[in-house]
Amino acid sequence: MKKILCLMLALVMVFAMVALASCGKDPENTSSAAETSETSETESKLIGSGTAEDPYRFKGDYTYTDSVTTLATNWNNLTYETNDDAYPADYVRCGLYTFVFNDAGLYPVEGRDPFDSYKIIPEMAAAEPVDVTKEVRAADNNKYGIPEDVDSGYAYKIALNQNACFQDGKAIKAEDYVKSMDILLNPDYRNYRATDYYSGSLSIAGAEARANSGHNKYAENGLMETPLTLADLTLNDDGVYCDAQGREIYVAISANVADWLGGDSLKYYVENYGDKYFNLEHWEELAAKENADGYAPLTEETYAWHVSVIATEAWGEDETNAPGYWFVCTGKYDEVEFEDVVGCYASGEYEITIVLSKSLKGFYLLYSLTGNWLVDTTLYEANLTPSGETYVSTYCTSVETTNSYGPYKLTSYQTDKQMVFEKNEKWWGWTDGKHVYVDPEDGKYYQMYQTTKVTCDVVAEASARKELFLKGDMITYGLQAEDYEAYGKSEYLYATPSETIFFLILNGCKSAIETREAAEDFDQTTTDLQSMTLLSFRKAMAVTYDKEDFASTVSPARKGGYGIIGENYIYNPDTCARYRDSEQGMQALCDFYSVDTSKYASLKEAVDSITGYDPDAAKKLYQQAYEEALAAGYITDNDGDGKSDQTVLITYAVSSDSEFMTKTMNYLNENVDKADAGTGFEGKIKFQKSAELNTTWSTKLKAGEVDTCLAGWSGSALDPFSLTDLYVSPAYQYDAKWFNADATMLTLTIDGKEITMDIHRWSDALNGAVRTDDAGVDHNFGDGQTSVENRLAILAGIEGKILETYDYLPVLQDASKFLLSKKVFYVVEEYNPICGRGGMTYMRYNYDDAEWAEFCKNADNLKY
Amino acid sequence: MIKYTLQRLGLMLLTLFVITLVCFVLIRMLPQPVVQPGDPHQAILEERMEAMGYGKPYLEQFGMFLRDIFTKFDWGVSFKNYVGRPVTEIFVEKMPPTLLVNLYSIVLAIPIGIILGIWAALRKNSWIDHTISTLTMVCISVPSFVYASLIQYFLCFKLDWFPILMKAGTDYFSWPMFRSMIPAVLALSFGTIAGFTRTTRAELTEVLTSEFMLLARTKGLTKTQATVRHALKNCMVVVLPSIFGSFISILSGSLIIEKIFSIPGLGDFYLNSITALDYNIFMLDTCFYTTIGLLAAVVVDVSYGFIDPRIRMGSKK
Repeated sequence: MKKILCLMLALVMVFAMVALASCGKDPENTSSAAETSETSETESKLIGSGTAEDPYRFKGDYTYTDSVTTLATNWNNLTYETNDDAYPADYVRCGLYTFVFNDAGLYPVEGRDPFDSYKIIPEMAAAEPVDVTKEVRAADNNKYGIPEDVDSGYAYKIALNQNACFQDGKAIKAEDYVKSMDILLNPDYRNYRATDYYSGSLSIAGAEARANSGHNKYAENGLMETPLTLADLTLNDDGVYCDAQGREIYVAISANVADWLGGDSLKYYVENYGDKYFNLEHWEELAAKENADGYAPLTEETYAWHVSVIATEAWGEDETNAPGYWFVCTGKYDEVEFEDVVGCYASGEYEITIVLSKSLKGFYLLYSLTGNWLVDTTLYEANLTPSGETYVSTYCTSVETTNSYGPYKLTSYQTDKQMVFEKNEKWWGWTDGKHVYVDPEDGKYYQMYQTTKVTCDVVAEASARKELFLKGDMITYGLQAEDYEAYGKSEYLYATPSETIFFLILNGCKSAIETREAAEDFDQTTTDLQSMTLLSFRKAMAVTYDKEDFASTVSPARKGGYGIIGENYIYNPDTCARYRDSEQGMQALCDFYSVDTSKYASLKEAVDSITGYDPDAAKKLYQQAYEEALAAGYITDNDGDGKSDQTVLITYAVSSDSEFMTKTMNYLNENVDKADAGTGFEGKIKFQKSAELNTTWSTKLKAGEVDTCLAGWSGSALDPFSLTDLYVSPAYQYDAKWFNADATMLTLTIDGKEITMDIHRWSDALNGAVRTDDAGVDHNFGDGQTSVENRLAILAGIEGKILETYDYLPVLQDASKFLLSKKVFYVVEEYNPICGRGGMTYMRYNYDDAEWAEFCKNADNLKY
Repeated sequence: MIKYTLQRLGLMLLTLFVITLVCFVLIRMLPQPVVQPGDPHQAILEERMEAMGYGKPYLEQFGMFLRDIFTKFDWGVSFKNYVGRPVTEIFVEKMPPTLLVNLYSIVLAIPIGIILGIWAALRKNSWIDHTISTLTMVCISVPSFVYASLIQYFLCFKLDWFPILMKAGTDYFSWPMFRSMIPAVLALSFGTIAGFTRTTRAELTEVLTSEFMLLARTKGLTKTQATVRHALKNCMVVVLPSIFGSFISILSGSLIIEKIFSIPGLGDFYLNSITALDYNIFMLDTCFYTTIGLLAAVVVDVSYGFIDPRIRMGSKK
């Protein structure tokens, strides 16, 4: 025993000496020494003189180690569907045009400091697009149907970069673009990305006709100018109902119905809710009649079946609602050939012409062309295989099937494990002299893309990502809520703002709530749902929560959100001006939160004073809501204690449960308990989690089957105006079942004239449609049709009206925070809404791979 | 025995057919996932599904499915998770990591588990037995992902003995690859070791107290001789089939362990195919695992006859 004790003592002493020795090292000095030697070493690693003609380039290997939770499996730009699959795009593809920071060298912007703005420069193109609308219209009998009354914005000639080539050295010519577009729009391939070139702002003439060539064409009855009723229809020889023009009518079975079902299909509802809401006696027969497009021809028989399915008390419809499900078959899309209709053709060996069906010019045209539809057509077709009546392509699913035309090429790919990119030596940008920038610190020219290799591993667990980061094996680590205590003040912490505002959507669907309360298992003596539909209750809820506190408690990367349009939407891409900073945007918030702006030196100060949290007002409003609920009979007070006998139970739609959900629920409950203390609802308002609803959460929320959820919309960061549609169009609205945008009037003074329209019309007019006001005057307030100031005023007016519904209670402004490895640094620290921090293009390294490996051997170096 | 085996195989095929049919119909009855309302891509997605034959009656689709398998061994291509790639190709690509990690863990776990079980049984009610039994209970009670996290944190991150994640690449039999698999192997082994320890200890303890063991000792055999020649052989009647059972799990992988150590195996292959309604992957997985499961059941049943001659398969009496 003595021997053992002695041995242990000796061991302890040895360990203690080792520990003391290591403590004796001075990490500061080590670091300084490293920095000194680093400076000289860095210089020795540069090639060139740092001038525009001979920019600095970098010697050595610089590997960017990245991670994702799901690895891309299909990065084919004609078919990819998910954001995960979009990951390799920036490495292996280039757009016709690209964004770069403004700098003091090749890309200055007048009046702006370097790296404070941006420029759009030709990349796969050789120059800016040239408007040839008049020439194209005059040629070929105006076969692309360019309107006669416009002379610009519909057709452009784009000279192509003659140095552009694929990684295998094959030159990229105009024919490659045309053939790629032909493949994209081939009606037999049904490519997922085809719609991107006719349903968005970049709408290629004839693209829709070609992509749908030979397919049936349907128009939704509810969206027609004069919707049809049964009285308008007659039976044709086949026993199918037709309209006055002889066009057959169909009932949508699995096809989506935008107007009546908010974008869902009847089949979806029937399969999800079954006989709880529908009469299924004839459902199977009806469903069996649907065609390949998801529609059943409307005959006397199918009409009767359809009506029997929907005309139930629970579903709340009768025979008069049946036309809401109808579609008019307006014929088949003509069978057309690509070259006959599609506005994309080669006008030279290195020049393409694109013709648009909707006008697009200036910034938005170039922005739309920062993507690319170009594929290696030979490789693409070699990897096509028939599947049923269509084809699938394995193009861009492996190293062998990827032919890069970006700065990097794929060199290794292991499914669900890792992908590796290395420099594409054939990329023209290494030598064209245009991919350089002037460093804002030393004023020297540097080559873009210092990174020589990118490895991207699948790391599903945040803990593993953190460990890898702290060992130096990962360049960034996205902070989790539990990391903020340790790293919240790190100098290596960066915040990335996001567009989305998360709001609490509060159920106001009285019919759905009544149905739920009428259920057998609902105990009305202890529980109430109807009180939450009272405006006073909703107003109280809106001022119950301190948004900043909520954010720091449940999601520290985010902050409080106050409007329905987030902080980062830019209304003027030229100046990067944000809507939220505009006078109109700020005034909208001050009006909604009743801020007396006269008390503040500026609107900005007034806005900064908004917390959205007012416990005193909340108490008064809860008491008012209690009294109103009592009077309406929603709740009782049988024991006369001045408190509700029922608990207002608010069911939170949980898509999948998580720690975030638990924290959110706890916060909501704890703080509502504080706010309702001393009122008739004291301790009688409770949030409860729903079962896990997965993807059905939004449908259930829209149907009023659950009561609340933190949700949000995000749109194009450069177009806040298009967001209004999400709040006024039933296809998108969360509150379509209880809020009618068509009946919500808004009067605004535009150019000195008072105009009154419902907010749906305002929204449409704001987004480029012609809408008639109540005085019978037509208006179009789309981009370029009126001043930006007018558009901002309309946007602010609509935002104010939506906030006043109290259907959406803004809570969080989305953002994320991450730690950046000491291996790298950003040329510009400040986040630019358009260029971010420059991404891989401007990423710079403090250490090359060999130095970094050495640096990481000392664990003290890796403290953040 | 041959008749019995053939009967079992026949029943196995029938069961396989029924399970395949039921799974096929059920997965295709699930509602299609929808994109955001108003998303213009929805129409394209629906058209694609129709064009690929998914709008046809289920039995017709099932017929086509069987026809392609029996005539071309074509299980189709993935149309969601691995667009366009033959599902058999992806399955074969993802099989080795799962197979190896689980195989290593069983190879490690079986001898250790059996040895610990024997040791505990031979030292019954001693401190050794109590320690082993307690550790066994702990190992069985704690889920493997807890060990995985602990191993990853202490052995990989703190002590830097192993890589945090499994190495990328297909050099499955290289030393760096093997080293990178060790954390996952360890995490998977603890539970299996505990299982074998418990089974072996329980069986051996019972056998050791049997009368024939007393007889063996009275006939002059040493304790070691009696244990090795008689007790161990008898307790293997239960232990050996459980070894067969363990090998079945080799192929199924471990979803959580594969996630934690970033093993590109079959762990979430099945689950993801259901979520994405990637029918062809789902059916290949279903048929494969069902076949393996049914075959294993037959092998285990038949093995009893070989392990213990007292057991007669298919005997009416």
